[in-house]
Amino acid sequence: MIRRLAYGIKHILELDEPRHHLAIYPDDTFVVSFPGSGNTWTLFLIANLLQPEPRVTLPDLKRLIPAIDGQPRKFFRAMPRPRVIRHHESFHPQYKNVIYIVRDPRDVLISAYHSLPERTDLDGGDRLMSFVAEFVAGARSPVGSWGENVASWLATRGNAPRFLLLRFEDMWSETVGELDKVARFLGIQATSGHLAEAVNRSPADHVRRLEQKTARKIDLDSSRSSAEGGWRTKLPKAAVSEIESAWGPLMSRLGYELCDTAAAKYHTVAVTELDRDL
Amino acid sequence: MIHELEYVLNQILGRDLAERYFKTFADDTFLVSFPRSGNTWTRFLIGNLVRPHESITFLNIEKVIPDTSALSNRYLERIPRPRIIKSHQFFDARYKKVIYIVRDPRDVVLSYYNFQRKYGEIDDQYPLEQYIPRFLAGDLPGLIGWGSWGEHVLSWLATRHNSPGFLLLRYEAMLADPICELGKVAKFLGVVTTTEALAGVVERSSADNMRKMEKTQSDKWVVTQGRRKDIPFVGKATRGGWHSLLPENAIDEIEAAWGPLMKTLGYKLARRSSAALEPPYIRLQNSYRVPIRQQV
Repeated sequence: MIRRLAYGIKHILELDEPRHHLAIYPDDTFVVSFPGSGNTWTLFLIANLLQPEPRVTLPDLKRLIPAIDGQPRKFFRAMPRPRVIRHHESFHPQYKNVIYIVRDPRDVLISAYHSLPERTDLDGGDRLMSFVAEFVAGARSPVGSWGENVASWLATRGNAPRFLLLRFEDMWSETVGELDKVARFLGIQATSGHLAEAVNRSPADHVRRLEQKTARKIDLDSSRSSAEGGWRTKLPKAAVSEIESAWGPLMSRLGYELCDTAAAKYHTVAVTELDRDL
Repeated sequence: MIHELEYVLNQILGRDLAERYFKTFADDTFLVSFPRSGNTWTRFLIGNLVRPHESITFLNIEKVIPDTSALSNRYLERIPRPRIIKSHQFFDARYKKVIYIVRDPRDVVLSYYNFQRKYGEIDDQYPLEQYIPRFLAGDLPGLIGWGSWGEHVLSWLATRHNSPGFLLLRYEAMLADPICELGKVAKFLGVVTTTEALAGVVERSSADNMRKMEKTQSDKWVVTQGRRKDIPFVGKATRGGWHSLLPENAIDEIEAAWGPLMKTLGYKLARRSSAALEPPYIRLQNSYRVPIRQQV
């Protein structure tokens, strides 16, 4: 009751975070990703496109691309349109313009494991394997498992014109080219000079420094190494095959090479279960 | 402002509609579908299955299988667990145990058109030709929060199909062999039953019975009270009505939009040919593949 009353007062003052109460406009763009997908760096890149001068700081980022639960409703109402808003939600029909960032789940797993309250190493012990089982089941995630989150968007919007799929790995290796896609999607006129400048202003070590300053730990080490396949050296074989057997077809569809070739075999299985016409 | 105050007051009193955001429990089962896909019939079937000693009517259905879009948060919190909850929501990761009903979209569109006229969500004379493209885009009052038929179905199938906590029912298969399909539901819910008992459940939940009950109970059911009665809530309960009622170009538009998904679900296309969807968007895991209609 008290909690509800407090919420009511906050709501009248528009101090509550909008979450699902956000009034969505048709020209809103949502940057969506599963947590731990190298989002902070990508968001800095996009924010530096949105604000060419001066260089984007962490408070700037929260203003330019606010998280749906990161600012009060009042803020979202006053935001100049078109707005760019970030979220981790699985498919949502009212998000009409979506930039979806996807990352190899084997690296996402490492990032999630490292962000556990007590840091431990990836020695393949029981603790890691039970974490992998939870990760695959999406047990702790309010936005679904990695596979559910990704598939919910790709199946519904994968071919839609107002859906832009970015692979974190491509962002890393072809940053300017990928950022150009973002600029076009957002309707921003950006010359190659602008793009290069936005990239210059968002180096990963700079982002990491900003995060250290605000004492918010986000694992950029693993995002750095992911470009070279961080999971290949860090993740025990058992964990890799657990993930591949859960999401093999989806991973190969996204161009993530599988170690366990058996996991890819479902890819060739025809849809037979429901073939029977009614 | 008045609207805001009303909203806040409802929140404080817990009277706000549950809709998508209410407290879920690990032992909840969800009965999910796009609107007008046989959800109410299935509620009656399941209600009569799990409460063999009381007949399900429009007067007690909300206590047995409550509707998230008609009831308050507080009401839902008071339902004894384990709950079976009716929902029209698109994929929600918090729903761990889901019975999903799908129906041929060519029939759904006609049923939803009548439903929206009943509820005054569209004009009574609204032309069907204009309605179809809006239906396809999910751009209709009422649909905005639920997505289009294709988005709705895919959001669930792509994430959960063939996983152990997910049972896919096709409305047409239920019409053709309700006892067999209800048997799958019983197995999924862990209800021990017999074919005779299932037959009794089907009988008590028949469309004819539901129509009779609607006539006398519609003023008291939260979903229909105060609504016009010339268009009934319980629809025709048939399949394939679209053959004679949908204009050819409408059939064509629907099949162009959702052909591969319809083909995957076993709905024969009338106007064009299309391949079924490829995995991974309909996830396949051999260990869970059970041919449809071979259980019980």
